[in-house]
Amino acid sequence: MLGFKLEVPRREDSVQGKTHPIYLDMQATTPVDPRVLDAMLPYLTDQYGNPHSRTHAYGWEAEQAIEDSRKHLADLIGADPKDIIFTSGATESNNMALKGVARFHKEKKRHIITTQTEHKCVLDSCRTLQEEGFDVTYLPVQQNGIIRLEDLEAAIRPDTSIVSIMTVNNETGVIQPVKEIGALLRKHRGIYFHTDAAQAVGKIPVDVNEANIDLMSISGHKIYGPKGIGACYVRRRPRVRLEPIINGGGQERGLRSGTLATHLCVGIGEAARIAKLEMARDREHVKALSDRLINKINAQVEHVIRNGDASGYSGCVNLSFAYVEGESLLMALKDIALSSGSACTSASLEPSYVLRALGAAEDMAHSSLRFGMGRFTTEAEVDYVVNKIVAVVQRLRDMSPLWEMVQEGIDISSIDWAQH
Amino acid sequence: MAAVTPTKEALLQLYSNSLRTARAYSSYNFREYFVRRTKSQFREIQDEKDPAKLSAFYNERVKELAVIKRGAIVNQLYGGWKLVLENEPPKDQALERSDS
Repeated sequence: MLGFKLEVPRREDSVQGKTHPIYLDMQATTPVDPRVLDAMLPYLTDQYGNPHSRTHAYGWEAEQAIEDSRKHLADLIGADPKDIIFTSGATESNNMALKGVARFHKEKKRHIITTQTEHKCVLDSCRTLQEEGFDVTYLPVQQNGIIRLEDLEAAIRPDTSIVSIMTVNNETGVIQPVKEIGALLRKHRGIYFHTDAAQAVGKIPVDVNEANIDLMSISGHKIYGPKGIGACYVRRRPRVRLEPIINGGGQERGLRSGTLATHLCVGIGEAARIAKLEMARDREHVKALSDRLINKINAQVEHVIRNGDASGYSGCVNLSFAYVEGESLLMALKDIALSSGSACTSASLEPSYVLRALGAAEDMAHSSLRFGMGRFTTEAEVDYVVNKIVAVVQRLRDMSPLWEMVQEGIDISSIDWAQH
Repeated sequence: MAAVTPTKEALLQLYSNSLRTARAYSSYNFREYFVRRTKSQFREIQDEKDPAKLSAFYNERVKELAVIKRGAIVNQLYGGWKLVLENEPPKDQALERSDS
């Protein structure tokens, strides 16, 4: 039994006596589940075969492992294993789906529909396509972050080739009505429905057949798997035709050539298998944590606004603390690993375009914090974070002249600031 | 093996082994998760009388225990930074001035 402490030679770069901040940024990435790592390790040691080698046991073992993973992943989203294409991550999947479908049909169809709150990689792929001469419609969202189906229907044109709408938003946790969108698009022949489900798979039930999804992007490191692996669901019946971005040896139905990383594929497969088994338990746990966080903060701090939809994915809570600047809040909270928006844009001080699309005022978009909770977050961590936040927000507000004016009853938005 | 119903002793033994293994993780979050999960899984099965379900549960947990045990060894090798939370003194032990 393992009631002992291992005697381990110390690693050179291991720092002892230093502490780690509490991790509440599960939308950026999640830790690799120890069970996933355990499944991966054999393929990083003795079972190193190339899964595409057909002439020896090393190859067969690796291929078998990959096919098992494909099955686990397909089971999680209700698909057929043959529909799953392994990629390097959700960004590649999004690029592959959008550019692939648009370019394949470019002779007849030159229109793409997406939303303003999509992830950067979808918006950027669309911009590239715009440069190639495609028309792109960016649908606005309502104040709760959800698109209007009437807007979508109105935007559809005879030459629309693909509609891309994400399932769960990475900054606000808003869940789009994917089922209704799928049903709507099914009525129009020849329009493919792509959804970026990187934040949804493994966290909320997703079924590609129920929602009539033609293409779906999945990420490994958002479901407690390793980074560097993702998958794209590409429907075969009716067949979705797309032009591959990467050409080569014809692996993955010719859609994504290149030797598969066996250990990463095994990792995402095992992560998907565990996600399916643990989904109910995880959801319940995450819901309890997020309720705890919201209730405790609301009880102790005033002027807090939740961005997005309250009925969205509960593991993503986006709060704006009025009269406090988000970045200074983050600086003061060095014991907590948080983000004010997506990791891709965390280097810039610009307010989040997702929150702006929701209609949040500039100052509220600047004062937002995103709390991402997951399988491994504990109640004690949430309590610790709440205590810290309450103290820091109070301290920052006490220093703020704006806050003083608000306390005196001055309406900040009515002030005409002098230009210098 | 599958046909044999696990005795209460066997289940209890498995429970304590699983709990001990979960506590061997050096990373706070993994340790807390596996302890929490072990407890709730065994609590769910506590009043189960169906021998088929019991033996399925037993076999599943035995298989998983091996995985979690290997995971604990790897975690002890490469994990182990303490979280800020773990260094905070518990509230009741914190020193307080007698005159405040």
